[in-house]
Amino acid sequence: MIEFHLDGRSKVATYLQLVQQVEQALRVGLLQPGDQLPKVRQVAESLAINPNTVLKAYRELEHAGLVQGRQGLGTFVLRSVGAPTLASHAELRAGLDEWIGRARAAGLDDDDIVALVELTLRGSFQEGIA
Amino acid sequence: MTAALETTGLGKRYRRTWALRDCTLAVPEGRVAALVGPNGAGKTTLLHLAVGLLGPTTGAIRLLGQPSGGAGLLERVGFVAQDAPLYRDFTAADLLTLGRKLNRRFDDQLARERLRQLGIPLDRRVGSLSGGQHAQVALVLALAKRPELLLLDEPLASLDPLARREFLQTLMGSVAEQGATVVLSSHLLADLERVCDYLIVLSHAQVQVLGVVDELLEQHRLLVGPYREQPFPIPGVAQVVRSSHTERQASLLVRTNGPINDPAWRVREVSLEDLVLAYLADPSAGTLPGPLAHADRLEVQA
Amino acid sequence: MIWLVWRQHRLQALFAVLGLAVLAAFLVPTSLQMRHAFDRAGLDDCLPKASRVQVVQTGPGGPGQDNDLVAACKERADRFTSRFGYLGNVGVLLWFLPLLAGLFWGAPLVARELEHGTHRLVWTQGVSRTRWALAKFGLVGGGVVLLAAGFALLVTWWRLPLDQAAGRQYLSPGPIYDLIGPVPIGYALFAVALGVLAGALTRRTQAAMAVTLVGFLVTRIVVEFMVRPNLLSPARRIFPVAGTTMPNELVRDWIVRAGVYSATGRRLDGGTLGAYSSQYCGPQLSGKCDAGQGVGTYNQELFFSSDRIWLVQGIETALFVALAVLLLLAAVQWIRRRRLA
Repeated sequence: MIEFHLDGRSKVATYLQLVQQVEQALRVGLLQPGDQLPKVRQVAESLAINPNTVLKAYRELEHAGLVQGRQGLGTFVLRSVGAPTLASHAELRAGLDEWIGRARAAGLDDDDIVALVELTLRGSFQEGIA
Repeated sequence: MTAALETTGLGKRYRRTWALRDCTLAVPEGRVAALVGPNGAGKTTLLHLAVGLLGPTTGAIRLLGQPSGGAGLLERVGFVAQDAPLYRDFTAADLLTLGRKLNRRFDDQLARERLRQLGIPLDRRVGSLSGGQHAQVALVLALAKRPELLLLDEPLASLDPLARREFLQTLMGSVAEQGATVVLSSHLLADLERVCDYLIVLSHAQVQVLGVVDELLEQHRLLVGPYREQPFPIPGVAQVVRSSHTERQASLLVRTNGPINDPAWRVREVSLEDLVLAYLADPSAGTLPGPLAHADRLEVQA
Repeated sequence: MIWLVWRQHRLQALFAVLGLAVLAAFLVPTSLQMRHAFDRAGLDDCLPKASRVQVVQTGPGGPGQDNDLVAACKERADRFTSRFGYLGNVGVLLWFLPLLAGLFWGAPLVARELEHGTHRLVWTQGVSRTRWALAKFGLVGGGVVLLAAGFALLVTWWRLPLDQAAGRQYLSPGPIYDLIGPVPIGYALFAVALGVLAGALTRRTQAAMAVTLVGFLVTRIVVEFMVRPNLLSPARRIFPVAGTTMPNELVRDWIVRAGVYSATGRRLDGGTLGAYSSQYCGPQLSGKCDAGQGVGTYNQELFFSSDRIWLVQGIETALFVALAVLLLLAAVQWIRRRRLA
C-alpha cells in the first residue's frame, strides 16, 4: 500500500499530484497489478483534502486504464505503466550513473543536469514527431 | 442536484445597517464550501440565519429542502459557532451526554472512538483542554449527530498550524465517511484550497463570487504583458477583475470567456487564494449586469 | 433536558441545600433552647388561655379573674421576650435570602449562556428553544419553591415561641411578616423570575443582577406599603380614650393601623402602621388626652386577627407567584424571538 504526499508549494493541482504519484509507484514497481490503492477516506483524512479530489484522481487513473474501482471493496491496480519495471534496466542505470559522474566532473550541478536532460528529451521528442 | 443550503434574497438588518443583503446562493449537496470574506462581511450572520439563531429581515433560507427553523431540522444540521463555545466545566463525557439527551440521533460510540483516536481524555474539564483539543471536541460533538449539513464558523481561527491540520483531517475523514455537505467560513485561504470545492465570497454584506472551485479556476487566468494605456479589449477576456502595473509591465487577473491567443500576454493559471484576494480587493468587481454570482449560478446547478 | 438542568445547576442546588442545613444547625438548637425556657416559664400553659381574653380592665373597677391571668402571663411573656428578643433581630438578616436567590440563580440563568456564547451550542441541538426555556425555568423555579418552602417552614417554626409570647407585637412593622408563612416562597420565585427576564433582556449577568436588585426592592416596597394594606379589609376595634378597658396585648393580632380620632373622625395622632398609641390615650391618660381635645375621642385599631393574617399572606404570595409566572413567560417569549444570536 502506498502513501501519498502533497507538495504544498507545487503549482500542480492536488488530484494530479496523486495521479502522478500512483504512476510513479507503478513505474518503479512499488505497486503491482492487483494491489489495492489506499481507501478514499484514508487519503482524505491523512492529507486533509477533499475526498472528491481523491475520487477525481482515482477516476482519472481508471480512465487511463491503470486501476479499477470495485464497489464496496476499493480501487485496485490493473496494469503497470510502461512494460518492464525500471528496476530491471540495470544496464541503462549503470550507463546513467557513469554519465552523471562525467557531468558533475564537468562542473554541472544537479539542476543543470536535470535541465540538460529535459532539453534533450524535448529535442528528441520533436525529432520523433518530425 | 438538490441544494443543501439555499437562500433567496436573504437579508438581515440591524437598525440602520445591513449585515447581509440580496444574498442568493445554493450550495449543492456533497460539496465542501468555503465561505470567505473580510470581517464584518456577513459570514457569521449568514450562518446564524441558517441555523435559526437569527431571523431574516428579508428573503428566505432553506436547509436540506426545508425552511430554516423547521421542526427536526436541527437534528440533521451540525453547527459549531465561532470560538467553539462549550460548557467549560463539563467534561467531554458530559458533553456527549448532552448530545445524547438533546438529539434523537446521536452516535455516542463514534464520538468516543474519535476522541480516543485523537487522544482527548473524556474525564477532563473542557476548560482545561488545549485550543486544538477544544475545537476537536466541538467538531466531534457536531459530527456525532451524523448531520447531512455541517456549518462551521471560523473553526480554524484560533488554532495553531498543527491543530488546524488535525481539525481538517477529522473533518475530511468524516465527510468521506458520512458524505455531509459542509460550509465553513474562514479567512485562512491556504487551508481552504485543499479542502473546499465550492466557493462563496462575501464582501460588504453581499455575495461577490459563487461557484465550483475547479470551474472558477478554469475560468480565471493571470495575464502578464507589457503595460499599455488601452490594452482592452482582449479577445477571450470577459472581465478584468484586478489589474496592476509598473512602468513597463502589467498584470491582469481576468475572467475568461474563451481562449486567449494574443501572443503579447503570458497566460498563467491562478490559485484560489489569488482569485479571492483579487475579488476582495475590488468590491465592485464582478458587478456587470448582475454580479458574477448570477453567471456562475447557472453553471452551479450541474 | 432534566439531566442538563441538573448538571448545570447541581452545584448551586448543593450549595443551597447545604446552606439550609447550616441555617437549620443554627436555628434548631436556639429554638429548642427557647422552647425549653418557654415551657419552664409556664408560657405553654398560660398563653393559650390568656390570649383568648379579648379585653382587659385597667384602673379601678376591679380586676377580674381574667385580668389576673393575663397580667401574670404577660409578665412572664415580657421576661421571655426581653431575654430572647435579640434572636429575632438577628433573624432579620434572613430577609435578604429571596433576593440572593434572584441574584445568584435567576440573573445568571440565561445571561451566562448568552455571555459565554453557549446558547449557540445548546440552541442548535435537537430541542426547541421553547422546550429548553420551559424545562430550565420550570425545574429551577420548582427547586426554588421547594427550598423557599423549606426555609419558610424552618423560620416559622423557629420563631414560634417568640411570636406567641410577643402577642400583638410580633408583626409590628418590620420584616417579620416577610420571613414567615408562605410569602418567602412568593418573594424568592419572583426574584428568580425577575433575574431570569433581566438576564434575557440585558444579556449580561452583572447588569441583570443590578436590574434584579432594583426591581425587587422597588416592587417589594410598592407592594408592602401600597398594595398590602388594601388586599383585604381589616377588622376595626374601637375603645375609649379615657376608659378602663384596653385590648389584651397578648392576643396575636396584626395591627396595621392605629390612631386616636376625634369625635368627628379626624385623626389626631397615631403611630405608624401597627404601633399602638398607648402613650396617647390609653389607660395611662397622659398628656394631651383631655376634654380639650373634644369629647368623644376614641382609639381605633385596624387589625387582622391571626387566622386572617394567613389569608392576607396567601393573597400576597399568590400575587408574587403570578408576577413570577408572567415574568417567566415573558422571558420564554423573548428567547423564542430569534434575535439572540
